[in-house]
Amino acid sequence: MTREQITVEILNIFRREFEIEQPGLDNDLRETYEFDSVDAIELLLGIERFLKSELTHDEKKMAMGIRTINQIVDYVEGLVRVRGRETHA
Amino acid sequence: MKGRRVVITACSAITPIGHTRAEIVDSLRRGVSGVKPLREDHLLSKFIHSQVFGTVDYPVDFDFRRTYRKTMGPVAYYACQVAKEVLDQAGLPPQFVTSGRLGVAFGSTHGSPTVQREIYKTFFGGAQSEFRAIGAVDYLKSMVHTTAVNITKMFGITGRVISSSTACTTSSQSIGFGYETVKYGMQDAMLCGGADEYDTTTVAVFDNLMACSTAFNDRPRCTPRPFDRQRDGLVVGEGAGAVLLEEYEQARKRGAAILGEVVGFACNNNGGDLILPNRAGISETLRLGLKDAALGVDEVDFISAHATGTKMGDVIEAQAIHAVYGGGPFVTGLKGYMGHTMGSCGAIETILTLYMMQDGFIAPTLNLEEPDERCAMIRHTMRLREQPIRVASIQNFAFGGVNTNLLIKRFV
Repeated sequence: MTREQITVEILNIFRREFEIEQPGLDNDLRETYEFDSVDAIELLLGIERFLKSELTHDEKKMAMGIRTINQIVDYVEGLVRVRGRETHA
Repeated sequence: MKGRRVVITACSAITPIGHTRAEIVDSLRRGVSGVKPLREDHLLSKFIHSQVFGTVDYPVDFDFRRTYRKTMGPVAYYACQVAKEVLDQAGLPPQFVTSGRLGVAFGSTHGSPTVQREIYKTFFGGAQSEFRAIGAVDYLKSMVHTTAVNITKMFGITGRVISSSTACTTSSQSIGFGYETVKYGMQDAMLCGGADEYDTTTVAVFDNLMACSTAFNDRPRCTPRPFDRQRDGLVVGEGAGAVLLEEYEQARKRGAAILGEVVGFACNNNGGDLILPNRAGISETLRLGLKDAALGVDEVDFISAHATGTKMGDVIEAQAIHAVYGGGPFVTGLKGYMGHTMGSCGAIETILTLYMMQDGFIAPTLNLEEPDERCAMIRHTMRLREQPIRVASIQNFAFGGVNTNLLIKRFV
């Protein structure tokens, strides 16, 4: 899965679930779009559905510092890498 | 203990007989009922004997941003809408709304049953993967104080939160406790009320207790029939009501329109049976309310009775009214128009009373054609009366033996 594909899907989640159209990739989501703790939990559920894979408790904790779309994409890229390694191991 | 004067400076209701003040007053004057056939819910409705419901069957133009909608079930939509209308109407300075000197007293019977129903469907569906779909948002939508805190969130209110959930006395307690909070200086204003959404679970509960009306399923508008010989039970309804209570001097200084003054409140418990009404307990509430208001019985000229239309409840209430007031004040059972709107009934009935107080009329008890002889000793409002109300008593009683009495005075 490429970074572009991940970005497209994350933007889809933001449009579909949060009614946020074309967010700036480096905008602070809390400050710019009132993205809050409830949204963060919903986003993690959306990512699980996208990856068709449950996130571990530690993986969810890692997401707590995320502030921008680009950071979300970085985070998902990391998850994809880990799952890829597990699949090939 | 003498406290500060507390006045009502805004109010709004969503009811089965209308949303705007003009619609509601028109329904009261023309005797329009808001009771409709029970809707098919593909779950309980086909098993329920009572096939009527006090229904809000018109669209309400909710215009909330997603950041607010995401934690709201239907009951919170109602609550936030009437709260929004009240704050718009009151015109409080924005800095006051968020100052911590404005609090919220708002409740519902049990959060959002629609959301709870979806949670239970998932829970009993048996699919492990779906359990994870029950999340924080579902709890925020369904928790019992969902109305109060969705209001605080939407308007940035940082004062006290009181969220009564005492079934039929939920919103009369909201207003009463809000009144005491302002009267004794803990807050300078309180946004008070209650809401309940369309819900067949509540109908099923009362239906199983044989407390619901079943004889008028083919003529919904003819039931409930408070105090009438042919009454056969209550009709569950939905709706919301909110009032803004303010300390009088503050309201006066800012030039607020004053709709009425809360002059007394009482709340007690029967101390026994959780279902059956209790004449001694109710009578005591009425006396305590008068005492709190420092009013004599002859100073009250209108009573909004709880009067759900049940066989025993109406008789006990009539006996209690007679024991305290004799046959003096006019008595109207406003549930004749819209059924029992549960957690919102106290607030809605207070608002309807305010409208009548302002416009100088008393609406009759809808569907009261021939008073039951056991209820006949009080002064029933049998026809529309063009007559001023100076002081009104709004009475509400709930499962659990909770009784309330609010006393409202016309502001002159």
